[in-house]
Amino acid sequence: MNYGYYPGCSLTGSAHKLDKGVRKVLEKQGHVLKEIPDWNCCGAFEYGDRNELTNFSKRNLEKARGLFSEIIAPCPACYKNLKEADENNEFEIQHPLDLFGEAFLSSMKQVHDLKGNVFTPYYGCILLRPRETAITNKTVMEDTISRFGGEIASEKVKDKCCGGNQIFINKFATEKLSRLILEKSKGTLVVFCPLCHMALKTFSGDRKVIYFTDLLLYIMGEKNTL
Amino acid sequence: MQKTDHVIDLAGYKKEDLTVCLGCKICASVCTVNDLSISTSPQELLQTLFLGKDISADNPLVRYCTGCYRCTQACPWDIRIPEIVRALRDVLATGSPFEKAFKGSLDIWGRVYEPYVLLKAVPFLIKEGYLKHMNRWIEYMGIHLPHKVKKINPSNNSNGQKGGTL
Ligand code: SF4
Ligand code: SF4
Repeated sequence: MNYGYYPGCSLTGSAHKLDKGVRKVLEKQGHVLKEIPDWNCCGAFEYGDRNELTNFSKRNLEKARGLFSEIIAPCPACYKNLKEADENNEFEIQHPLDLFGEAFLSSMKQVHDLKGNVFTPYYGCILLRPRETAITNKTVMEDTISRFGGEIASEKVKDKCCGGNQIFINKFATEKLSRLILEKSKGTLVVFCPLCHMALKTFSGDRKVIYFTDLLLYIMGEKNTL
Repeated sequence: MQKTDHVIDLAGYKKEDLTVCLGCKICASVCTVNDLSISTSPQELLQTLFLGKDISADNPLVRYCTGCYRCTQACPWDIRIPEIVRALRDVLATGSPFEKAFKGSLDIWGRVYEPYVLLKAVPFLIKEGYLKHMNRWIEYMGIHLPHKVKKINPSNNSNGQKGGTL
């Protein structure tokens, strides 16, 4: 399958590990990702004028028009903004988590299993809400962990807010919200959102916080990604 | 003076879209800001806005709303309160140094260049005690050069004033 790829700003910076992970996982399964040429920032959540915010993503869609019909956007904020900008449903804008369903998992080449490891799957906010743009496969992390023999802990925290959005505004808020998640969970935290990753990692101490793609890559045979 | 209609318009709503609010306060019962031990109510914010009264930058939601959409998910009408809060923040010009640096980066490159944003926010980061986290961040920060995006054509911009800043 050929996909248009929208990495977004954080995947070219602090979340470069997620970028490499998504590319590698999908390429291993025979998919081809091509970046939308000359893409710009999606505006994240930094604009109070909805029209202004949507225009950033509309420009990205214009750049993709005629080149791609299916677009993959791993960052939850980028994904949400692109989906909302696609008012006439011209494109199929997908989140990688929706690609990692049953068919994907059963065709995956498995080298390692997860036996003896405890994981807390953590989705955060924007992947699961609001309804219109939420991912459809809301148990994909749990399904993967149990299929490959890992133990799932603390399912109740999966949709709590880590306060990542406030990390550079009111640090105490992010610290408190992230610590609540860390305290109420066990084992390795598995996340997808770059902002959740940053917030939880900042306050995690010795606890491990990994991207879901690290988990998939480990199962597929990479070393040291857990 | 905040103009109610203007805030609602910025959030992408019309006033009648929000008159459906039942006053049930389910939004208040699920709001993440409560987890900070700060009591708050999105419903009261909506009501104040409706009455045409001013909302101050000190309002707990204006300060601490994380944009988690728990309220929207729980609301019988899916009212997007975080978007109203963002519109209010815009009108009240509450942008932090970090948010200003974020927008500044977009103005220059069309993308967020993290080293620039961090550098611009250094005085704030020092003052607010972020430096102790620097080691952690450096562990996984990727270093790269900025990439410049071609200009956005202002005619693509449907409201003709803002949004053509790239
Ligand atoms: S989006 Fe804001 S107002 Fe709504 S529940 Fe979350 S913190 Fe509260
Ligand atoms: S949950 Fe919705 S309808 Fe109920 S008070 Fe809040 S905004 Fe109004």
